[in-house]
This record gives sequence, C-alpha cells and structure tokens, in this order.
Amino acid sequence: MDRRYFLKSGIAGAAGLVAGSTSLLTWAPRAYAAIVNVNINAVAGSVDMPDGSSAYMLCFSSSNTPQFHGPTIVVQDGDTVNVNLANSLSIDTVFAVTGTGIKEQIAAGGTTSFSFNAPAPGTYLYYDDQNNGVNRVMGLNGILVVMPNSSNQSFSGGPSFTRQYKWALHTIDVGWGNTVQTSGHSAVNSLDPDSFNPYFFTLNGTSFPYTQNPNTVIEGNIGEPALIRLVNSGGMIHSPHFHANHVEITSINRENFTGQRKEKDIVSMMPLDARDVIFPFKTPPDAWPSASGVQRYPMHCHSEMSQTRAGGMYPDGLHTGIVIGQSPATEPKL
Amino acid sequence: MGKKRRNQDGNTGGGTNASGMGGGGGGMGGGMGGGMGGGCGNVGILGNCGVNTQAPATPNRVTPDAEFFRTTFMGGNATINGTNVSIWGFNDGGGMGGGMGGGGGGMGGPFPSPAIRVRQGDIVHTHLNAMMMMVPHTIHHHGIEPDTFNDGVGHYSFDVLGRYTYQWLASQAGTYFYHCHVNTVLHAEMGMYGALIIDPPNGPGAASDGTSYNVEAIWAVDDIDTSWHCLPWNAALCGGDAGLNNFNPDLFCITGLGQAELDVDASAATPAVAITANRGDTVLLRYIMAGYIPQRVTFHRDLGDITIVAEDGRNLPSKKTLSAGSSVFMTAAERYEFIFQANTSGTNIPIDIEFFNYRNVSGSLRNVGNIQGYVNVN
Repeated sequence: MDRRYFLKSGIAGAAGLVAGSTSLLTWAPRAYAAIVNVNINAVAGSVDMPDGSSAYMLCFSSSNTPQFHGPTIVVQDGDTVNVNLANSLSIDTVFAVTGTGIKEQIAAGGTTSFSFNAPAPGTYLYYDDQNNGVNRVMGLNGILVVMPNSSNQSFSGGPSFTRQYKWALHTIDVGWGNTVQTSGHSAVNSLDPDSFNPYFFTLNGTSFPYTQNPNTVIEGNIGEPALIRLVNSGGMIHSPHFHANHVEITSINRENFTGQRKEKDIVSMMPLDARDVIFPFKTPPDAWPSASGVQRYPMHCHSEMSQTRAGGMYPDGLHTGIVIGQSPATEPKL
Repeated sequence: MGKKRRNQDGNTGGGTNASGMGGGGGGMGGGMGGGMGGGCGNVGILGNCGVNTQAPATPNRVTPDAEFFRTTFMGGNATINGTNVSIWGFNDGGGMGGGMGGGGGGMGGPFPSPAIRVRQGDIVHTHLNAMMMMVPHTIHHHGIEPDTFNDGVGHYSFDVLGRYTYQWLASQAGTYFYHCHVNTVLHAEMGMYGALIIDPPNGPGAASDGTSYNVEAIWAVDDIDTSWHCLPWNAALCGGDAGLNNFNPDLFCITGLGQAELDVDASAATPAVAITANRGDTVLLRYIMAGYIPQRVTFHRDLGDITIVAEDGRNLPSKKTLSAGSSVFMTAAERYEFIFQANTSGTNIPIDIEFFNYRNVSGSLRNVGNIQGYVNVN
C-alpha cells in the first residue's frame, strides 16, 4: 500500500509556543491568567493527500512548511493571546476568529504581532475570511479552544467529560490548488467559490483509515463521556453521524445549552460552524443481550460523497472510529 | 409486492391513515421480472478491497418478538418524475424465501424498501438474505445502537454474502430508517433503504413522545443523480475514480414519487404519499431525510403551527413549536416527527421542500431542486 499518514493535525511544540498540544488529562486550569504566545506563518506548498498524491494549499503553520490544519491554540478564560504572524504568501493574509471582532490583516511578505483577550470559553475557528471563503478552504485555518477555569467542562456549568477531542472537517479541491500553484497566490481573488468541487474529505487533516489515530478516534470505557469539538473549516455542508450512542448537543457556535440537552445521531455542520457535543459512552442501548467487551463503530458524514477519496475507495473519507469498552493506549491531544 | 408484512405490528391500524413506506412505492418498482435496470451489469466478488464477506450465526440468538425478512434486488426500476431510473433495494422476502435462485425477490422490487415497524421493547430479528447475483450487502439500522456484530458495517464486522440475522432491541420509540452499508455512497443512493419505525409500547396511534394522532404519514425524501445509476456494486472499491465525490442530483422524490407522480397521487382515492385528513385531525408526519444534500422543508401556513416532538429517534427535552408557515433546515439522515392540526380545509396544501448544493464555500445556499408534497384536509 502506498497510503501514507503524513497529514498532521495539531501542533508540534514550536519554540515560544505555549499553547497547543494538550489533552484534558494533562490540562489543569491555572490559577492565574497568562500571556500565551503563538507563532504562525502563512505559507504555501504541497500537502500530502491520503492517496499518496499531493495538493497545493495555503496554510497557517507553526513552521515554514505547510501544516494542515494550522496549530490548535488552546488557552484559558482570561488569558491574553499574543500572535506573531509572518506572511510568506504573495497576497495579504487575514487572521479572523469566528463569532468575535478579532481580525487582523497582514500585507504580503509582512510580519506583525497583535494581542487579543481570550473570548468566552468555547470552540472557535481562526481563518482567513477573504474571497467569500476561498482562502479558508484553500487551507488558511486552525482551531482556537478557550477552556474555562475548570478542568472538565467546556463552559462553566456545562457537562463534565473525561476526554476531549477536536474534529476539524475539511474538503479539498485539487483543481483549485493547481490553479493557485500555476497562476500564483493572487489567483484566490478570482476563484469562483461556487466552482468548488471537493476531491478529498478530511477529518483532522486526513481521511479513513488514517483517522484511526489516538487524537481522532474516540475511545473510552462505559461512563467516560467525551467532549468532541466539531469545526467545519471546509466548503461543504456536512452531516456527521454517530453510531453506538446518540450525542448530546452541548454548544452551537458558543451558544451553550444547560439542563437537558437535545440528543442527536446527526450533527449538522454548516461551513464555519463549531458545535460541541458529548458522546456519553453509554452501553449501546439497542444491543441484545447487552453488549460487553470492546465494541467498535464508525462515525461518518452521511452526506455520503464525503466517504470517498479521489472519487472512490469507500469509506476512505470523513470517517473515524468509536471504541467503547477500553481506555485509549495513548490519550488524545487537541 | 411489498404489501405483506411479516409482523403483526406492521399495519398501522388503530384508526390511523398511514401513507407509509413499504406499500410498494405507489405502484413503483418493477416487481418480479423488472429486468436489469438500464443494462447495468453487476457481477460478484472480484477482489476483497475492504469487503469482508461472511454469513455467520447470530451470537446469543433468542426468540424474537418481531421479525422481518429482507432479500436484495439490483435490477429494479422506478419512474421518478417521468424518468425511468434503475433501482436496487430490499424486498420483503417472506419466511419461505431464500435459497439459491429463489432469493425471494426477483430482479426488481419497491422503492423505497418495505418498512420495518416494531414496538418499543421488542427484540427484533432482521433476516437478511443477500444471495442475489452474489453481491454482498448489509443492513444498518440507522439510529439503532446495537453491538458491533449487529450494526451492519462491514469495516467493523462483516458484509453479508448469504444470510445473516441481525438481532437488536427496540429500546426507544422513534423514527429511524435502515440502509445497506456496503459502498454506502452508492448502495444507499441506488435505493437500498426503508423506513424503520418503533412505536411506543402500546403500538401505533401515538408519536414517540406519547402525543396521540389520528393521521400518520411517513415520508422519505431523497435526491437522485441518475448519472450514478449505472455503476457496478463495487464501483471504485478497489481504486479508480468513479466520480463518487461528485453528486449532482437531477431527480427528487418523496417516498419514491417524483413531482409528476405526486401530483397524480394527491388526487387518488387512497394516496400513497399525500396526506389525507379531516378537519380537527391531529397529523403526525414522520420525515426521513434520505438524501445526501441539504433540504429545507416549509409548511404552508394553512397547516398551522408545527410542533417537533422528536428528532433522530429521541424525544426533544421539550417540544418545539414553530409558527405557521415556518421552515426546517436539515442535513443528511436526520429524522423529524412533526405534528400539526388539520384545522383548515383545503386541497393540495403544500409542504415545499428545497434542495441545496452540498458544496458551500461562501455560506450562501444554492438551490438545485424543489419538490412539493400535499396535504388534503376535508
């Protein structure tokens, strides 16, 4: 098999970067607010696709090589985020955060530093909002997570969980990449958003079976709820479907639900959406006799075109596993 | 074909007026001798390519409270908005069906596939006989959450070539559906799905939350890209580009009927899809979003306030009432239980369904089709 698992999600520990790679088990709220430095480079280049081919993308990266998605920024309520942004592209870049007024524009080739106060606890997309979504879909995006000052909730008063995950949903049109590579970065200004036709459908930067990794597969024992932060950075309306348990809808675009929450087996995901759900890790309710031992299931988008890569190879798309009945060998990182 | 049900609960009964799925799709479907759809060829297993065919015994098998028999067909046809479309699906195979050559269903069958209907608390057996043309299939009961072995997803258990009996517990009343999970992107598109209803313990006559109804309808609303309907069962499973990332539906249907057929159906003595009620009736519409691209459902204001009591087989924490004329936006495979009062007399009161392109970079919805279902209030 020539399949490769080169697509990395999350962030490596770049120098000066305080935010990033954290699992809940290693997350302990600080008693004080911090200034969190984040270094981001807007870069372009070829990114490996799950079938071994490559696609030209524009990325927010913690290094000088393309990184898809950008580094996950994890901060705490009350923190100040200081972003050092270098734009290596030949076009202006924007750093905006969904649902907030945070927005900075950096000229081609320029560098800048700016700070913002961490917005309310929740899940956000940071992205380049230019050209009606084209720049974002070309890859200029990443996830910002603001934790509350309590370790096992996504917001004060929210449901408790044992583990948390981020799921970045994305779609890639290789033809768009070819155009931008051939004609220059400014081609994004003339790409018609309605011409988008995705060829790869990714979850945390890769697709099944490479999504079967500890940061993406949700795994746990009965009674160990997982919080999943779903973010749609791509150019498709998705319909993630959970087998094994219905999920509780916890937050939709930072609107938090307290009390009894709606239970769904489908979580509708519009572009730019961030939806937090609790996968309860209950005994699957419809097994007879009651299921015991380790049980394995899929989570997949039910807009089934997303279950392909390069036009076929079902189910090698936006799909990952659910494992009930054991702790993960490696704890997940955001 | 497709009329008989193997389960005593299969008939909605109880004074209800069901326009259910499983009624043969309103005369749709080829039935026996439907012939090969459009000359599309399907041959059996050529290489495994991720397909894991087995036909094991059901672990911990018990005597069920309800059972259903499903054979497969891959040579059916349906007429949707006047266009002939090749269809695959499940037939009600009967207890006697099966065996090599029998298959119980022939080449054709209904679209959508016959409903499965049980009561909360039932232990259910779904007997799949996937012998036809030596092509593997599965049944995944969508929204039902059994053990891995009975979930019908080959990549986590097995695909069925031969027979398998899925054993599961109907733990929660609600509106579900079932579909094949082999090369799902293609097999579900080809029509391999049917309604799955779990009534409350007392049987039909009440929605999942206990709200009584006089009239019930089950709609499965689907989008069809006819350019996909001549692919082999294993299209691109072993590699290659079959264009399965690229879905451009050109036909739309409610429970197998396109607009032309719906317009005829609405004036039939006993419509298959159109909802017929008397003034004062409480109507339950079980809506199964069976397509791949987003839908927006708009209820005509003559239908009054619309109350959602359940979604995805779960009662809402509190009922949600929408004012008359409201819309509901939904994505693939959601299900809704809508309740409204038939208080205004009218003929062909519309429920409008818009379909939108799944590709959406800018955030602006782009309409790619429409269909209109009807309510007649006497």
